[in-house]
Amino acid sequence: MAAAPKRIEHGEPEERQIPRRHMLAWLSGVGVVGSLLTGVFSSLVFLKPRATYGQPNRFRIGRPEEFPPGARMAIDTKRVCIVREGDKVAAISTTCTHLGCIVAPSATGFQCPCHGSQFDVDGNVTGGPAPKALSWFQVTLTPSGELEVDKDNEIQTGTYLSV
Amino acid sequence: MRLALAVVSLLVLIGSGVVVYDQFHSRWEDDQRAYFHQALEQAKTPAERASLEGRQPKIEQTIVTAFGDARIDRCESCHIAVDDPRFASAKQPLHSHSYSTAMGDVFRNGRWERRHKFSDFGCTTCHDGQGRGLQVADAHGEDSFWPDPMPGYTIQDGWNREIASHLHGAEYMQANCAQCHSAKDFAGTPLVTRGRELFFKTGCFGCHRIEGLSAGTIGPDLTEVGKERKLDYLWGHIVNPRAYTPTSVMPQFKLSDDDKKALVIFLKSRRGATLSVSTADQFRLNASTTAPVPESVAVVAASAAPAATPAARGEQLIQGYACLSCHKLGDRDGGISPDLTNEGLLRDQPWLMDHFVNPRSRVPDSNMPAFGLPQADFEAMAAYLLTRSTPPAAATPAETFKNECARCHGEKGDGRGVNAIYLDPAPRDLTKAEFMNTKQEARFLASIQNGVPGTSMPPWGKVLNDQQIKGVFDYVWATFVREPHRQLKPRKVPEQNPVPMSADSARRGETIFLQRCTGCHGRKADGRGPNSVDISPRPRNLRNSAFIQGAPDRRLFESVMYGVEGTAMPSWMDYGLSQNDVGDIVNYIRSLNKAGK
Repeated sequence: MAAAPKRIEHGEPEERQIPRRHMLAWLSGVGVVGSLLTGVFSSLVFLKPRATYGQPNRFRIGRPEEFPPGARMAIDTKRVCIVREGDKVAAISTTCTHLGCIVAPSATGFQCPCHGSQFDVDGNVTGGPAPKALSWFQVTLTPSGELEVDKDNEIQTGTYLSV
Repeated sequence: MRLALAVVSLLVLIGSGVVVYDQFHSRWEDDQRAYFHQALEQAKTPAERASLEGRQPKIEQTIVTAFGDARIDRCESCHIAVDDPRFASAKQPLHSHSYSTAMGDVFRNGRWERRHKFSDFGCTTCHDGQGRGLQVADAHGEDSFWPDPMPGYTIQDGWNREIASHLHGAEYMQANCAQCHSAKDFAGTPLVTRGRELFFKTGCFGCHRIEGLSAGTIGPDLTEVGKERKLDYLWGHIVNPRAYTPTSVMPQFKLSDDDKKALVIFLKSRRGATLSVSTADQFRLNASTTAPVPESVAVVAASAAPAATPAARGEQLIQGYACLSCHKLGDRDGGISPDLTNEGLLRDQPWLMDHFVNPRSRVPDSNMPAFGLPQADFEAMAAYLLTRSTPPAAATPAETFKNECARCHGEKGDGRGVNAIYLDPAPRDLTKAEFMNTKQEARFLASIQNGVPGTSMPPWGKVLNDQQIKGVFDYVWATFVREPHRQLKPRKVPEQNPVPMSADSARRGETIFLQRCTGCHGRKADGRGPNSVDISPRPRNLRNSAFIQGAPDRRLFESVMYGVEGTAMPSWMDYGLSQNDVGDIVNYIRSLNKAGK
């Protein structure tokens, strides 16, 4: 290590030039901090599972013909109600926005059996403790001709898919 | 020092970067992106385009609870286009599953509709494999330790190379179809039906039990064999039973490749309760007090059309079922068990009936299963065999040996005929001059004439006359022994056991037997002592009552005192046994084989 200072004495130090040892220290710092950061990043990412064992959020519910115009069919296992009006299809959540009970379709819309929340046919709150309207989920027609509901994708109330 | 630190820390950074990339970049993501990209090009409506643009790669999974244990199938993470008919001609993994009317798919209003929807059935219900796996090798089950690889497509690491090529093909999936479609003659699973037929035709049911189908007890229970074994084991074990289990007693049946495949598929479909039977139904079935009658009895009974005489029915039974996959009769030869062509001259009715009901009552170490058929069928089969009583045309001794003897004793007379490994005791090696030349000629002639009780050597007295027997014996001597007859030294052997039979004597004999004989003959005197596996010919089973009762005292004495030349039996006189000791041993052995036992 004694050789390094000697060289500086003999050489012609320029002011702008970063000394070799500083450069090396800087590089080592980047390496150590960078690998620490990637390690922390990858560990943190693993905290969130990439797949859970619940029912999938994107699922197929069958062909449009299975839902005649005017149908309001609740699929309790999937917690979704399929609504068809004429040629338009939509999927409305049947999970009550109050405490998560399964609401049932009724003559006036939806009714929650737990605390009496009431919703109209579009899922807007008309009574009871529910704080907000039922969500609408995106419905798409798959290339094989089946309807697919994507519960990860909430859309605006009143958006239908034409079939 | 600083340079080294800088280099090492940068290397660590690169290394951790590679690891992170490897961890967070998977093939299924690439596959999904490729699918989104190609689907976007083919999208027709703006809505479709918008929904595709919004999609990010995600693990796709189907949870199936209707078929056995809950399945989590993530196959669609890579095979994301599996239900997209636009990808019918794309390459895997983006190939869409084909439609087939045979599988129940319907073409309606210009679109195909699946009978087995992936959202209901998942993938592994039909295809096997590991539904959770996201890497190709994990998912397809190429791992040697994965019990259910995708049948017919995946060849596993540890699979036997010679048979691996036979395990390809979609037909193997029929074993999975049969899990729900368990009806006996389901049209969609012809190979399972064929395999079931072969299970009865080739006599498997005689040894193996399958709940509800058969009640054999010699071989392992096959009720759940499809769950326990993989394709390669099933195939390999049928091709050569001793390849996987060196001590297996299962015969090597002569089957065509198609028949082997059908049997493998049938066996692979045996997994205990099928998916179409609920656990409760299965429990009720098992708990019911009336055990279901094995189908085998009915199958065999129905196989024969009504016949005029018992003998005609017996012929149908023997020709049509099981017997000839082991035995020889006329031109047909299973290559495993004795020749039945002249059975009417070799055996009588009581022998045949005893042997049908329990083969081990006449040949204690026989490998023939007790088939458990109705008494009337056995009587019909015996009646037919007794009609096989036309002596073969007179032939030269060489031809007679070739026709009658070589099947067991071998064409070279060395006791290694085609079916020799299935016979216990093994056929005598006629080339061993030490043995042949130390026995009286009369004994050999008597063995041919009267057979050897308790073994597969039948009495040839009605097939060959005395002159022919002598001719065959001389032929054997000239061809295989190839030594001049030796003058036998007179031996001092009593004709009758000088020690009277008594409990005391038998007990003394047992003491000596346990000290001297068990190494080879075994503690149970059944010829299976620890040394027996290394000895050829194998030590005599001294509990073979038919044999022991047929052997005179003189012969037992001579064998013990002077040994048996050409075998591992030493001369016990030289090891200090007196004549009285031998008498005690003989009494002990006789006491093990009392008549009526």
